Amino acid sequence: MAEPRATRTHRFKLGPGQVALESAEPISEAPEQVRSSYRFSDPALSEMPLDRLLDALLDRVQEALEVDTVAVLLLDEEAQQLVARAAKGIEEEVERGVRIPIGRGFAGRIAAERVAIFVADVDHADIRNPILREKGIRSLLGVPLIVEGHLIGVMHVGSRKPRMFGPNDLAVLQLAAARAAPAIERASLSARLEHEHTVSVTLQRSLLPKRVGNFVGVAVASRYLPAREEVGGDWYDVFELPRGRVGLVIGDVVGHGVAAASLMGRLRTALHSYAIESHGPGRTLELVDRFAHSLGEPAMATAAYAVFDPYSSSVQYATAGHLPPVVIGSSGVRIFEVTPAPPLGAFPYSRCPEHEFVLRDDEILFLYTDGLVERRGVPLSEGIETLARAVESAVSPEEACQAAVADLVPLEGLRDDVAIVALQSTPVPAELHLRLPAEPKTLVQVRRILRRWLVARGGGEGDVAEVTIAVSEACANAIEHAYSPAPASFELHAWGENGDITVAVRDEGQWRAPRGENRGRGLSIIASAMDEVKVDRLANGTEVVMRRRLSHQ
Amino acid sequence: MSIGDVQINHAPGALVARLTGEVDMSNAEDLGASVIGATPSGVRGVVLDLSEVEYLDSAGIYVIHGMRASLQARGQVLVLVIPESSPVHDALRLSGAKQPGEVVDDLDGAMLALEASALGDA
Repeated sequence: MAEPRATRTHRFKLGPGQVALESAEPISEAPEQVRSSYRFSDPALSEMPLDRLLDALLDRVQEALEVDTVAVLLLDEEAQQLVARAAKGIEEEVERGVRIPIGRGFAGRIAAERVAIFVADVDHADIRNPILREKGIRSLLGVPLIVEGHLIGVMHVGSRKPRMFGPNDLAVLQLAAARAAPAIERASLSARLEHEHTVSVTLQRSLLPKRVGNFVGVAVASRYLPAREEVGGDWYDVFELPRGRVGLVIGDVVGHGVAAASLMGRLRTALHSYAIESHGPGRTLELVDRFAHSLGEPAMATAAYAVFDPYSSSVQYATAGHLPPVVIGSSGVRIFEVTPAPPLGAFPYSRCPEHEFVLRDDEILFLYTDGLVERRGVPLSEGIETLARAVESAVSPEEACQAAVADLVPLEGLRDDVAIVALQSTPVPAELHLRLPAEPKTLVQVRRILRRWLVARGGGEGDVAEVTIAVSEACANAIEHAYSPAPASFELHAWGENGDITVAVRDEGQWRAPRGENRGRGLSIIASAMDEVKVDRLANGTEVVMRRRLSHQ
Repeated sequence: MSIGDVQINHAPGALVARLTGEVDMSNAEDLGASVIGATPSGVRGVVLDLSEVEYLDSAGIYVIHGMRASLQARGQVLVLVIPESSPVHDALRLSGAKQPGEVVDDLDGAMLALEASALGDA
């Protein structure tokens, strides 16, 4: 009968019989090599990031023990496997991502039994890792890496020549392991945190709108600034609503890190979804509150939602525990204080009242999160006053964001993340001169621009409706004429005085007789809506000029 | 955001399609096709509820005519709900076109109109 393999795989023998040593046990009698291995307690090691720490440590072990190979495998707790993390002499182990199940093979048994194991001859041992054989390793010595009673991995050394590792070798390896384990634990913890920070910053960024702007009659600016160490769940949002209104959102999820960022994404989406269902700000926040309660996990946030109507300059506003918005005007800054409803997710079935105010053309609505105004030892109201002073001379949303960041964000970085979003209604020009892409989706933009312009010219409800439909029909014709495969465009000019307005739509396409009943009907609409219509076929396109006397009704 | 939308409900003997938002050449055909596609052959007709439409122009009128023709070919009728104050009236009036179907003020009126058309057939 063949000799059982295990007889050649020794638990470390310090004398007759098998003796298993706990690696964390102190070394009382330090042999020569150990004394020279002050190198393992170099305080610099504890400051290093994980990769450099392992690299330095392995070099020192290799040198102290005069071995051919050194490897560190770290425990993957979920998979119950050891994963090769760093190696000298057998770098392939890391490159190939060798994984050893706990309890199996040389390293696996060290981990399972938490004892040092010496293998005199790998040919007669249960070695799971093919690389050790490929590299011609003959003898192995390995110890567990233990921190405060928890196994975090295994470190082993190998020799190409058969070698009887002795008690001194073990003492050195155990000392190295005892010094290295806490440093590895610390470094991998901070690597994990670093990773989490990166993940949550990325997540946070991916959850915020890529760009804001391009709303008719409205200028918008925004900022998101992550905290120095940890991201939070701050967000802003800007979206278009039916009838040319614009929704503006600011919010702050309670908590930090990936969980907060991911909850933020869900709340932001929920709010946007309820908002486009045409619920007002109060009801929208109530629905998001119900949604937060339905998640089955603690989910709390403050948020404010404002709907701006560029035609009436009115703002509908509701707040769920959020800080008051700041309104910056040419005659000063006001803080729009209302009694806030409770935060989202705080109390069941809470009510969220709606408030309304007028945002004059010179005024900027400025929403922000507490990270901007909260400073240790300073009352919140004082922080808001500081913000008000910082932004008081801003004349655009972008300037307001710049001023707030310049004055309130400390140079050394933020302790909490910050989101800002600001909006201002843009002045209506006396004349319109627009070059627009010849695509059907342009039409809705044209109608929005034109409605605002007509209201500013003193047009009544009937004027606005009829001129808008006539001009939209003329633009639809221009878009249909643009048959070239290249991106085409058309021009819209509008001017007027003394209650008489003229709109010209010019395209660069070939004139086509109206096709079918549909476009013919479009021309009928133009003719009945306007007092005078002229169609000019130019050398390089067609121009429709429409004039109407406003009835102011 | 999408500028217009349609919600479809099934009522006894009828399909009720409620259009919302703005209807122009960018979405009229798709909206019309989705209503016709959703109409079962067994119903008496379609109620096209335009009460919440904020804008509609010749592209919308064209598609409504098309819907009426498709339904007629299947022996079904189209009833339009357009309240007094609706901006849809602007487009219909300005275009000078004939009404693209029977027009009523509200949904109750639409259901009555559908029943009447059924009696008329009988």
